[in-house]
Amino acid sequence: MTQEIEMGAVQADAQPPTFQDVIMNLQRYWADAGCVILQPYDNEVGAGTNAPATTLRSLGPDTWRTAYVQGCRRPTDGRYGENPNRTQFYYQFQVLMKPSPDNIQELYLGSLRAIGIDVDAHDVRFVEDDWESPTLGAWGLGWEVWIDGMEVTQFTYFQQVGGFECDPVPVEIAYGLERLTMYIQGVDSMFDIVWSRGKDGVVFTYGDVYLENERQYSKFNFEVADTNFLFQEFNDREAECMRTLEAGLPLPAYDSVLKCCHAFNLLDARGVISATERMAYILRVRTLAKACCASYMEHVVGLAPATDEGKEADND
Amino acid sequence: MTNVHTLTFEIGTEEIPAFDLHKATLALPQITEQALDGARIPHGDIRVLTTPRRLIVMVDGVADTTEALDEVFRGPSVAIAFDADGNPTKAASGFARGKGVAVEDLERRVEGDVEYVFATRSLPASDVAELLPEVLGSIISAISWPKSCRWGRTHEYFSRPVRWLVALLDEQVIPVEFAGLVASNETRGHRFLAPGPHKVPTAADLPVVLESAYVLTSEQAREQAIRAGVAEAEQTWNAHAELPEKTLLEVTNLCEYPTVLVGTFDEEFLLVPEEIIVDAMLMHQRYFPLYDDNHKLTNHFILVSNGNPACAETIIDGNERVVRARLSDAKFFYEEDLKHALDTYVDRLDEVVFQESLGTMRKKTERVVRLAEHLAKDAGLDEVESADVARAAYLAKADLVTNAVVEFTSVQGIMGSYYATAAGETDQVAQAIADHYRPRFAGDDLPESIVGRIVATADKLDTICGLFAVGQGPTGSSDPFALRRSAIGIIAMLEAGLNVSLVDAVNASLDTYQASGVEFDRQAIYDQIIEFFVTRTKVILRDSGVSPDSVEAVLATGIVEPAVIIARARALEAARAQSAEVFDDLATAYARAHNLADTALGDTVDESLMDVDELALDKATNEAAVAVERALAVDDYDAALQALAALRTPIDTFFEDVLIMDKDEALRNNRLRLLNRFVAVFANVADFAKMTKTAK
Repeated sequence: MTQEIEMGAVQADAQPPTFQDVIMNLQRYWADAGCVILQPYDNEVGAGTNAPATTLRSLGPDTWRTAYVQGCRRPTDGRYGENPNRTQFYYQFQVLMKPSPDNIQELYLGSLRAIGIDVDAHDVRFVEDDWESPTLGAWGLGWEVWIDGMEVTQFTYFQQVGGFECDPVPVEIAYGLERLTMYIQGVDSMFDIVWSRGKDGVVFTYGDVYLENERQYSKFNFEVADTNFLFQEFNDREAECMRTLEAGLPLPAYDSVLKCCHAFNLLDARGVISATERMAYILRVRTLAKACCASYMEHVVGLAPATDEGKEADND
Repeated sequence: MTNVHTLTFEIGTEEIPAFDLHKATLALPQITEQALDGARIPHGDIRVLTTPRRLIVMVDGVADTTEALDEVFRGPSVAIAFDADGNPTKAASGFARGKGVAVEDLERRVEGDVEYVFATRSLPASDVAELLPEVLGSIISAISWPKSCRWGRTHEYFSRPVRWLVALLDEQVIPVEFAGLVASNETRGHRFLAPGPHKVPTAADLPVVLESAYVLTSEQAREQAIRAGVAEAEQTWNAHAELPEKTLLEVTNLCEYPTVLVGTFDEEFLLVPEEIIVDAMLMHQRYFPLYDDNHKLTNHFILVSNGNPACAETIIDGNERVVRARLSDAKFFYEEDLKHALDTYVDRLDEVVFQESLGTMRKKTERVVRLAEHLAKDAGLDEVESADVARAAYLAKADLVTNAVVEFTSVQGIMGSYYATAAGETDQVAQAIADHYRPRFAGDDLPESIVGRIVATADKLDTICGLFAVGQGPTGSSDPFALRRSAIGIIAMLEAGLNVSLVDAVNASLDTYQASGVEFDRQAIYDQIIEFFVTRTKVILRDSGVSPDSVEAVLATGIVEPAVIIARARALEAARAQSAEVFDDLATAYARAHNLADTALGDTVDESLMDVDELALDKATNEAAVAVERALAVDDYDAALQALAALRTPIDTFFEDVLIMDKDEALRNNRLRLLNRFVAVFANVADFAKMTKTAK
């Protein structure tokens, strides 16, 4: 029975794609699928989802398609460059398509082929993994995608963002670029990832590019960052966000939300936010994020705040 | 003559979550039956087949047409239906409307001696093929999902997006519509091995078409294939696997074409505690660990693939890499954790919230230590054991901030125990740390030692008292902190002989909370907690078959200690079963005495006023009072019941032969005082008035 199935040709002697090949191939692939290829958002974010191109543009009836690389900062995950799988800075490749195309799973599998993964020769699985972000008032249903038991992608149909129903429904695909490339290149430490390989054979690894970064930022996040400054920054940015929203400008207001998040994450890494205070800070961020979404609905989408819907969302 | 056909309906989807799929599989036969019956479509057997990407119902013996139906309904009598002028009344028009016919179509017919109006409704025979689109559509929306979503621009909901529909009545395509799709005769195969589309020539062929497209269409078939593969692997590797039901179901519903493969990891990882390895494999990866004959973990594991069997090597290799990374993490975490003694982690419990209003795990630890010390003293532990209790309580939660537990949560307690041993703590302390989460459910093993039981009790009671104090006790079906389970655990330990006072422990716990600045109404909270425990105790007794009135009789004496309630209720129940007549009789007499008794009179009797029957009761009562007091002093509840049983004859005789309500007030009051004495003997044993007679 199985002999009838033709295996994808295995190119044994071909070099696996470099980290930047993976990125460029994904960009090319999703550009061909009609996505706007954005460059990384120039503000600190904890995940590609938090960039405004996903969070805010998930809202409203317009068609929207984008794909972008996003550097993500998670200060508490820093390990001074000593852990092969965990860092305080890493890259996601983010795809958002609204409305979700009918063939989105096939499109996604095509993107794996585009970066050298012969999906027919592996065990690719869609394993239930629903997504919820209390700070964004957002949730969706979807999967984590496994290749031979390894999670490489989050795949989510957004149902609600900022307390608002998403209509049409966007689909978000978030690839963990380091993990995916480690898999493709067969290396066990992310610092061993080949980032680029020149025609003259000169190779730069992920470690060449980011190891020193990890050491310095881990020390900064855990030991050096000025906590008084950060507490003040959180308060100032919170006020600035509200002030900007009063002027009817959700896009710049949302930048302040991201600044608050990052200040909070740094304070968390510095260990100065007690476990009991955490919830209060998260609630403050959530209030701001939802206010930005409401303002976006009003000023950009052009829908007067539907109070009933908003109330329902609060009860969820 | 109608022909019969096979009806096949497939809802093709993106991957449905494993457990939701299982529930839908169980619900679909009935949903289909109801939909067909609702449209009066004659049909035979219904079969349901499901995989993560499809729900299929197949129905045998579906008729071409529904049967025509004539229904006749009798309405009001003609006298009521028409007025004097022969015009239809409101009664007639209402009846006609209710049955869906026009008033002028009502017929008159005599039944018995009365002439009534009749409505006749005719449902014509309908073409089943024409009914089916709506009927099948209704099946889609009748499936209820724990969570469902919308997709694209559609507004329909389903577990995951629906991508194709197949609906066939033999060769005829039934154009069911849903979420912008129209059913056809094209299905899809295994996502990678034979994606399709594949034409389905006729309804009955769908399973065959799918089978040749690498889809095992039924849950059972996939489970069997997996079990067979596991058995083969066990033989090959001379090892055995455990297949936890939940994980097996999940694995079964995560594939369409399962292949059982065996992977291997480096033996060096076997130095890591087995529990972490098992957690990493089972919980995170859905692999089944393999054990040797001595039930020792081996470095082989079973994985169930949905990929191409010809690519087994690649797939095994990939999974082994994942396991290696996970186990390297686990090993790294374990070794890192071991670099510091367990007690150094206690301070870091400040980082873990116990409950928002009750502070962190560090604070909880301090309270649990105090409560455990109280319990150790109450239980009369010696110095060595008391020291172990204090130490184990102090260290019980420390592993929550170790790397291994942060990463692999199911090994909490167990890792603490490993780290305790490594840090040179006593075996008893280490064991108590592992055990203090026990019993985790009704019937679970209790902690092995008294030290473990005391720490477990202190931990659970601290949680119960704290959450009640901040108004977070369980309500209805909501019990997010599993307080009921904690209470049942404590009661089980008390019942098993942990000799401490729950009342004192609750007070000790509430003292500590008040001292730490938590504000609450002390008496009200105390009452709630005691009531909570009494209710749990009642449930435990009821579930073990003790009759509620025995429990109520015991509770009426005001005792609240669960272990005492349980022991007494059981003893009373047993005594009543053994000497039903004695206790029924005594209960009747007690009730009568209790009704007559007038406490205002006191219980000082004058023996000079008594006749022989009164003296007999007086003597028996005095003896019983002494016997009961003595028995209860040594916790011999059976003896106390026997002492009461001895009162049966004298009280019966007394009621038979003595006129209590004598005209002479002195005699009358003396007799009432004697009854007061009689009633008082029961006060500390059981309220016999609560006992209904046992059925004879």
